[in-house]
Amino acid sequence: MGKLLLGRYLQGNSFVHRLDPRAKMILCFYFVLIVFLCNNWQTYLLLSATTLLCAVLSKIKLSYFIKGVMPLIWLILFTVLLQVFFTRGGTVYWQFGPLTLTQFGLLNGVFVFCRFVLIIFMSTLLTLTTPPLAIADATESLMAPLKKIKVPVHEISLMLSIALRFVPTLMDETTKIMNAQRSRGVDFSEGSLVKRIKAVIPLLIPLFVSALTRAEDLATAMEARGYRGGEGRTKYRRQIWQLKDTVSLVFFGLVTVGLIFLRN
Amino acid sequence: MSIRLEKMSHTYQVGTPLEEVAVKEVSFEIKNQSFTAIVGHTGSGKSTLLQHLNGLLKPTSGYLTINGHKITPETKNKELGDLRQEVGFVFQFPEAQLFEETVLKDIAFAPKNFGKSEAEALEIAREKAKLVKLPEAVLERSPFELSGGQMRRVAIAGILAMSPKILVLDEPTAGLDPVGRFEMMELFKQLHQKEGLTIILVTHQMNDVANYADHVLVMEEGQLIADTTPKELFSDPSWLKAHHLSLPQTTDFAYQLQQRGISFETLPLTEHELARFLAPKLNQRGKIDG
Repeated sequence: MGKLLLGRYLQGNSFVHRLDPRAKMILCFYFVLIVFLCNNWQTYLLLSATTLLCAVLSKIKLSYFIKGVMPLIWLILFTVLLQVFFTRGGTVYWQFGPLTLTQFGLLNGVFVFCRFVLIIFMSTLLTLTTPPLAIADATESLMAPLKKIKVPVHEISLMLSIALRFVPTLMDETTKIMNAQRSRGVDFSEGSLVKRIKAVIPLLIPLFVSALTRAEDLATAMEARGYRGGEGRTKYRRQIWQLKDTVSLVFFGLVTVGLIFLRN
Repeated sequence: MSIRLEKMSHTYQVGTPLEEVAVKEVSFEIKNQSFTAIVGHTGSGKSTLLQHLNGLLKPTSGYLTINGHKITPETKNKELGDLRQEVGFVFQFPEAQLFEETVLKDIAFAPKNFGKSEAEALEIAREKAKLVKLPEAVLERSPFELSGGQMRRVAIAGILAMSPKILVLDEPTAGLDPVGRFEMMELFKQLHQKEGLTIILVTHQMNDVANYADHVLVMEEGQLIADTTPKELFSDPSWLKAHHLSLPQTTDFAYQLQQRGISFETLPLTEHELARFLAPKLNQRGKIDG
């Protein structure tokens, strides 16, 4: 649990930290789209430079981003190897049965690698610089137009806020119950697969029971404080769109223009 | 059979931005068959310290020995052997660990994990259920149907069922009513006196420290700031105040009497002691007045 950096928030007060979470979310998704515009080394260079600029602006050490890539490294390498050995075209360097090592294959491999790393870097940047609650608020605000087609936006966003709020609590609870059961002789990390699956029962049942109890308590507490659903509720946490948010959008727009221009 | 910590430290999440030192170079010894209380503020490292006692956590530097098991930063889980069985650990709000279909099965869970047969384990469970005063009628019921206090008893019985030699209690009476609290503490006292268990109790209740413990450790910000007896600890109210700790009610009352001119040799810890001291004085006074 300690290793996974994606989804963690690091406190800070950099330019990126202060951007409107809505802007950050839009940009993050937009970035994932424009990554697919790249098709030669100039375009990848441009996007890498953009990503690096964002990383520097966030004042977060580069090593954290690299740690964010690590859990997914096997998936990335697997995809890269597939690309390298199964793409044909250009000069053939090596051949063995269906496996070929070609100029295009190598190039494709490098591109796929860059694509993965760039996307992970950007999404890590979003979660590292934005508190989970701000992400939930931004989602609600961005989904607001969906109210027109009767999507229960308020309920979804409330669910999201509560879910995010309880992630750390449930993690603590899990550790606590694991410790308690370990003290009673359960071994979570050894034995055959069947044995390990059985060992999860003393963890999962108490966890479900406590989550359900907690939900009931929370619902009662919310009602006691006058909660009656989304109708007529005001907002305490406000998100203010500032000039720098517009500037960031325009900057990404320019990057897109650059990409289209450099692409072949 | 004693417990010894030698310059033991524990740091959480070493090598990350969230690195945090929870226990700093703590050394002390807990004698066999003693009743040790560990007090200190929330976040002073008490719970972290406790989790070392059955190998849930390993020190990041220094070492500890328990019953001849030595735990160093390099110790592997497999080398711990029977340590978990020898050290019974009652966590805060232990009722959160219940999961079996019936109370009896839940109590029998630990002995079964440590190699007892089904029949033996159930026999032990029955015996321990009686020990914690669970009514016969609830034994075949689901633990989730019980009241909070009864669930707590089931959980504690589940730990006692391992027949530990050392019993670690992390605030065992938190959230119980006064009667439940008294009964629970008396149970631990009885286990300590009759079965010779070494008990380590973490608590915020100074009354319990005064009434039951014979050894106190005080933690502050991950460091051990006192290793003494309750008598000694509570004889210095100003030191306690400086470290944001309180006196037991009786001692506090005696202290206030002392400031109004009644002198004590040492401040009494229990109501009994205080009464024994005051009764002759009152008698004397009665004679003078009469």
